[in-house]
Amino acid sequence: MKNIFFFIISLTTVLIIAVSCNQSSNKNTEPKATDPISNSETQNLSSTQNDTSNSVVPIDTTAKKVEQQDVQNFSIAPIVKDYLALKNALVADNDKAAASAGKQLFSTLKNVDMKAIPANKYKEYVEIAENAKENAEHIGDNAGKIDHQREHLASLSKDVSDLIVLFGTTPKLYQDYCPMYNEGKGAIWISEAKEIKNPYYGKKMLTCGSVKKEL
Amino acid sequence: MVLFIFIAIQFYQPSPNVDKGQVYTTDFTQVNKMPVEVKAMFQNSCYDCHSNNTNYAWYDYVQPTRILVENHIKNAKEDLNFNEWGTYSNRKQERLINSIKEQIETKQMPLSSYTLMHKKAILNDEQIKTLTNWLKEQQ
Repeated sequence: MKNIFFFIISLTTVLIIAVSCNQSSNKNTEPKATDPISNSETQNLSSTQNDTSNSVVPIDTTAKKVEQQDVQNFSIAPIVKDYLALKNALVADNDKAAASAGKQLFSTLKNVDMKAIPANKYKEYVEIAENAKENAEHIGDNAGKIDHQREHLASLSKDVSDLIVLFGTTPKLYQDYCPMYNEGKGAIWISEAKEIKNPYYGKKMLTCGSVKKEL
Repeated sequence: MVLFIFIAIQFYQPSPNVDKGQVYTTDFTQVNKMPVEVKAMFQNSCYDCHSNNTNYAWYDYVQPTRILVENHIKNAKEDLNFNEWGTYSNRKQERLINSIKEQIETKQMPLSSYTLMHKKAILNDEQIKTLTNWLKEQQ
C-alpha cells in the first residue's frame, strides 16, 4: 500500500516537472533572441573585433562567389519535368500514374536547394512553391479520384506557369487554355508540344482547348 | 496498475487552444461577405479545429482524448486557419476554397470522429448544398 502511494507521488512529480520544463523552455527562448540585438546596440566594438572582421572578408567573397554560381545554376527544369509527367498521366486518364507523378513532384519540390534561389525572387518562389507542394501532395494522395486530381491540376498549372514566368525555361513550352473546365470558369495547363491534348477531360474531349501563349 | 497510469496521465494538460474572444480582421467571415446561415455553418462545423479558439467540452480534457484532440487541432490549423484567412495569398485562398468545397461535398469534413460527439456540427445534405453553392460563387 505504501509502495503504491510513493509510486503515484513520484510519477506525478515527474510529470509536473516535465510539463513545467516544457513551458519554461518556451520562455527561455525569448530572452535569448533579444540578446544579440542588445549586444550590437551597445557599441563596444574593440579594435580586435575590427581586425577579425577584416580577416573574415576574403572568406566572405569566396562564399559569395559560390553562392552566385548556385544562383546562376538554379533551374526549375526538374519541377517542370515532373509536372509534365503528371499532366500527361491525366491526359491519358491514368489516375494511378498521376498519383505517383504527384508524389514525385512533391519530392522534387521538397528537395529544392533553397540557397540556390536568387534573393530577389526568393519570397515569390516560396509563395508559389508552398502552394504547388500542397497541390502535388493532394494529387499524390488521390489515386482513384481523378476528378479531384484534376481540380488540383488547375491550381498547380497556375503555380507552374508563374514559376516559368519568374525563372524562365529552356525548352519551349506552351500555356494552353480549356474554357469549359470547372463549370465554364476555365483552366490552363502547360504543354511541351503545340498539339492540344486536354488533361482535364482526357479522351472524353482530348482536343478541347487552345494555345494561349508561348513561354 | 492501469488505473494508476490513467490517473497519472491526466496530469499532462497542454495549454488549450483558446483566444478569449479575440476579434480578427483577417478572419474568413470578416474578409468574405456571406449570408448569416453560411457564417454559422462555418463556425459551428469547422472553427473548433480550424481557428485559434476551440470550445472544449469536459470530456475533451480527459486523457488520452486530450492529446488526440490537440493533435487534430494542430494539424487542422497548419492546413487551414480561418482566423488567418486574410494573410493568405490569393493563390492559397483559391486553392483552399476548392479544397474546402471538395472536403464538404465528399463529407470528409467535418471529421466523423468530431461530429460523433458534436451533433451541432453535423452538416445535412441541404446545408452541404448551401455551403458548396456559396463556395462555388467565390471561385
